[in-house]
Amino acid sequence: MRRIFQIDGDETECWLSHDGNRFVLNTPDGAMPCRLDPTGAPGGHVLRAGGRVQELRLAVGPEATFVHMNGRTHAIGRVDPAERLAGRDGAAAADRIVAPMPGVVVSVNAKPGDHVKEGQPLLVIESMKLETSLAAPRDGVVAEIPFAAGDSFGLKATLAQLAAEED
Amino acid sequence: MRRIESQIDTNAPDFKANHAAMTERLKEFHARQHAARFERPQRDIDRLARQNKLGVRERLKLLLDPGTPFLEFSTLAACREYDGAVPGAAVVTGIGIVQGREVAIHANDASVKGGAWYPHTVKKIVRLLDVALENRLPVIHICDSAGGFLPLQHGVFPDRYLGGRVFRNQVKLSQANIPQIAVVGGHCTAGGAYVPTLSDYNIIIEGTGAIFLGGPPLVKAATGEEVGVQELGGAVMHTSVSGTGDYRAATEQHAFSLAREIVSQWTRPPKTIIETAAFEEPYYDPKELYGIIPKDRKTQFDMREVLARIVDGSRFHEYQPDYGTTMVCGFAHIWGYKVGILANNGVLFNDSSLKAAHFIQLCNQNRTPLVFFQNITGYMVGREYEERGIAKDGAKMLMAQGGSVVPKFTVIANASYGAGNYGMCGRAWDARTLFMWPQAEIGVMGADQAANTMADVKIRQLQREGKKLSDEEIAAIRDPVLEKFRHDVEAYTSTSELWDDGILDPADTRNALGMSISASLNAPIDDPHYGIFRL
Repeated sequence: MRRIFQIDGDETECWLSHDGNRFVLNTPDGAMPCRLDPTGAPGGHVLRAGGRVQELRLAVGPEATFVHMNGRTHAIGRVDPAERLAGRDGAAAADRIVAPMPGVVVSVNAKPGDHVKEGQPLLVIESMKLETSLAAPRDGVVAEIPFAAGDSFGLKATLAQLAAEED
Repeated sequence: MRRIESQIDTNAPDFKANHAAMTERLKEFHARQHAARFERPQRDIDRLARQNKLGVRERLKLLLDPGTPFLEFSTLAACREYDGAVPGAAVVTGIGIVQGREVAIHANDASVKGGAWYPHTVKKIVRLLDVALENRLPVIHICDSAGGFLPLQHGVFPDRYLGGRVFRNQVKLSQANIPQIAVVGGHCTAGGAYVPTLSDYNIIIEGTGAIFLGGPPLVKAATGEEVGVQELGGAVMHTSVSGTGDYRAATEQHAFSLAREIVSQWTRPPKTIIETAAFEEPYYDPKELYGIIPKDRKTQFDMREVLARIVDGSRFHEYQPDYGTTMVCGFAHIWGYKVGILANNGVLFNDSSLKAAHFIQLCNQNRTPLVFFQNITGYMVGREYEERGIAKDGAKMLMAQGGSVVPKFTVIANASYGAGNYGMCGRAWDARTLFMWPQAEIGVMGADQAANTMADVKIRQLQREGKKLSDEEIAAIRDPVLEKFRHDVEAYTSTSELWDDGILDPADTRNALGMSISASLNAPIDDPHYGIFRL
């Protein structure tokens, strides 16, 4: 898999290979031999690629490399492929909070009809000496919270239900 | 490797409240640690000066490479014993750097009860020598002890892991080609005489150091012979007549320069090679841990937020992120060393136990050291889980964990209850180092549960005898039990009893682990092999 870079906001996929004699830069527009030599100045290099000779300065950071040439600085960001390719839209968040284990409700922090934000705590449960706060899986309206503080519930009981989202 | 994306809001009221609570706790912890290290009654300081001896901390300074870290173990050992009058159990132990080499150090603290061996002193020394054996670390003993504390001799002398074990471990170290040096900066009497004599090299400081099986008073009582300390076992006699001592040092400074010179003569075996990456500080500030660890021990928190403030670059490759989610498993680097991390995000269920067992095997196959972060209230109980074989799945996790050949390290970050402690590499499971955070608790069950169980038994017994108990009477039975349990599960009790290698400021965890991992690589890693997994 080629590396993914973000150059001045645009993504491009490249790979640096070696043909035994020299480095070859493989880009979406084709392959070109290249070489990069330090000049001795801090960060200073000379890049030879595709018949061009270019003086530039490099600064390498943990997330991006900065290239200064012809009076301009370009940020080249490295994009993590596993993150990039994971797919941004996961499955739609569930409407229900289901009990991860049997336990007792400690407190209820919302009531039916409340508008809640994703991540907002709806109720706190206790099981196995541990208090867990259960949060709204998405923005929405609370339809039902069937248990009150002090009630016991079983595994996979519905602890909170959001009103179905309309498209 | 991707960075963990922290969801923590450092301006949130919860974060601030937690931060304030932890800061308060740490103030007390650092004060206690400082007192155990440095605060002594004036008469003890005067006595050392009169004897022309340096304090143990000054001796360490002379021995160690300047500017290098010293990983001190169990600074607060015995803090809840002997009315608190034996700080650090009268001995300093740890891993330090001498001539660029990692060594284990055992140094008597003569400013405490003349460096006498109390039961907890012996436990601390034996533990240090076990660390040296497991990690193949050379040992430097700094001897200055009044000998076993006689009123408690039954807790110092007879049993398998008491006094004799110190000398037995010295023999085992020598047998394993692990060198030892003893610097004799005080009297080594009776059993104590074997520390320098079982060491490959020893140095006696002229005037203050002496070695004898029986000191002058005992000799006089036994045979009537009158003899002075120097003639009986001083530096000149032993280094020129008996050959019991190797080097005579003119001063303390001379003694430690000789010790350093001896270390630099030793052949340096290559360390075990594991995967490493370039060193990177965590992206998120480790001090933010103070606001992440809930002030109420019962409140759940996401261990990924903790890991993000400990591992290199806050980067974590999570294994099986959507399965057995109460057990967080994955790869990261600490001080550049690749490690496999197991961290609790809730109770251990069947799936989380199986995930842990599988991940532990992956790490053994891959020669990747394991780091356990405990916040575990137990394996899940109840009919549903018994039917699914929770005890059987827990056994698989123990078989994999206990059968591991890679070095293991444990941080008790919050709760450590019951069998969960076992699965997550508690003290009995040979973690190379095991540290506790100051608010953490350890016990067979939570204090409330234990107190209720004990009180219920008592109450039922009284009811059987026909007594009817009022609420006040029940409280009078329950409350003292609860108070005792709360005391007994605290980190200070654990560290006093040496159930851990010390309490850590959470922000120091990364460095303590880094140093532990680095030291562990002095020992080879075996090929993986296990017992029988109950499938």
